Amino acid sequence: MEQSQPDCCGGAAAVLNLQPNSSISVAYHPLFGPHDDLILLELDEKLLPDVLHHRVSFRGQPDEDAVLCTRSKTYAVKFVGTSNSVFLIPPSDPSGLHENEQDGDKVQRDNKAAASVIKVAPGSMELVEVAPRLDKLKMLLSENPYKFDEVFEMDELNEMVDCNTSLYRWDDLIDKVQASDDELRAALKSLSALEIDGYWRLVDEDYMDGLLNMLLHNSVLNEWSLDALHEDEVVGVLHSDGFPCKIASHCLQVYGSEVEGGSRGRVWRLDERRVCMHFARGILRGGKIKMESFMGEWARKAPEGMQVNFDMLEGEVLTEKLGIQTWVYSYSVSSLPSSPAERFSLLFQERPKWEWKDLQPYIRFIFSLALPSVLCAVPFAFSCKSKGGFYFSCDCFSRDLRVPGLTSDGLLLKYTRRTQPTLDADPVFSAR
Amino acid sequence: MQIRVKCSCGEGKCPEWAIVELQGVVEVQPDFQDRLQNLQIGLLCRPSSQENYTFTVGYHELTGSKVPLKKPLLVLKKIKHSNAEEDSATVNLSRVEMEVIGIIRHRILFKIRPKALISSKLLLVLLSF
Repeated sequence: MEQSQPDCCGGAAAVLNLQPNSSISVAYHPLFGPHDDLILLELDEKLLPDVLHHRVSFRGQPDEDAVLCTRSKTYAVKFVGTSNSVFLIPPSDPSGLHENEQDGDKVQRDNKAAASVIKVAPGSMELVEVAPRLDKLKMLLSENPYKFDEVFEMDELNEMVDCNTSLYRWDDLIDKVQASDDELRAALKSLSALEIDGYWRLVDEDYMDGLLNMLLHNSVLNEWSLDALHEDEVVGVLHSDGFPCKIASHCLQVYGSEVEGGSRGRVWRLDERRVCMHFARGILRGGKIKMESFMGEWARKAPEGMQVNFDMLEGEVLTEKLGIQTWVYSYSVSSLPSSPAERFSLLFQERPKWEWKDLQPYIRFIFSLALPSVLCAVPFAFSCKSKGGFYFSCDCFSRDLRVPGLTSDGLLLKYTRRTQPTLDADPVFSAR
Repeated sequence: MQIRVKCSCGEGKCPEWAIVELQGVVEVQPDFQDRLQNLQIGLLCRPSSQENYTFTVGYHELTGSKVPLKKPLLVLKKIKHSNAEEDSATVNLSRVEMEVIGIIRHRILFKIRPKALISSKLLLVLLSF
């Protein structure tokens, strides 16, 4: 272009800065057309820095509704149409627009007193914050958990890696799961997944059971205190028993919490609740069992020094009375879907009527969106009874439903009918 | 899959686009239906120092004002990167990116029924009789 007029002399700036007592011609742009590749996205001012610094992306498979993810949050993307004529006027020299332009068009574009409409926008995309869609994550990871035989059959593993079946790297998960990076990381943690050779894996329940028992066995042999397990020592011994170092230290993270260590590396204390819960799950995998037998067997299996307590199993088991006997069976909140509608539907299939104290652990909600998302609950949904039990951690953060914009009262109102026979009776919830 | 949103405008320097919005549809005379390019839609005037505007389209005059958007709109452009050596069978594997090419913070909105210029002139003529 031979003349280099400043950009303010045409296009959007001319419209936005139109001086009093003056006028400008609005015309169709030389490149006017449907321009389906131009999309308007309505965005909260506070998300702008994320966009400008390349921290957002659209995620989803072609058959899913797209979401927009920042580092820490997930937003559903909704198209909102308009019946108005929305004339879109680019700056006079819109970078990226005129790549296909022919020479003849330039003459027209330099018409100073005109603003050119490049397209009529049919509407715009709007964002609504949503809970991350993590149901799929557990399903994907459950396809191929890490098992005993894998340790010995490294050849087979390599084969598997070659054809890349059911093994997922971080980037594969980002491609397949609709969640922000932070939310995905938190979900992997709450599922007790670990990265082995670059692939995110769950560890098979039997494997974790063998590993934990070996750890407890060794603690007796070597007179370790369960309140102060030195990681180097424990991992060394478990390694000599045939467990890979990485998975041995994973075991400490899953069943323990780190305590202030001395000079000899990291120190862990086994968590009573998590260890006891592990053994309870093992017993209940055999099916429904009488309460007394269950409590007896559970107390026997728990390691010395740990006290079992039925309250530990909140959100893990349900009881029912048959005659004078109370039976207990496994009903884990982690096996329920994350969408409120699906979750309530399954709950009412299980029981038409729920007392509040029974229902509460299964519909705990976190609605404080101000919390950093790593702390926020990670809802999950899936049911993966197919391939036998896998190990899932159950720290208290991981079990809650998170529904941005809805309080727990709101959800109860929406999905349940509350009845209270008398004023002092406990309310009972049934399906709406 | 993941579609990254890129922005090459640099720190807070996204070029500002404008919206002129009016109710209903502007119909183009059949003769011009196929050659809209460069065709004038109307004349936008700012008669005073206030943010009030008129937009004259054919025989109609619209009155409106400049309003800031509650939330800004980003103008995204979809960009497909397809490698030249790839054949058409792998075309759906080509990488897609969204590039921010502009931002919109204001629109000039005409939401009142247009005044017909002709009929008001006629009316004047009639009244003067």
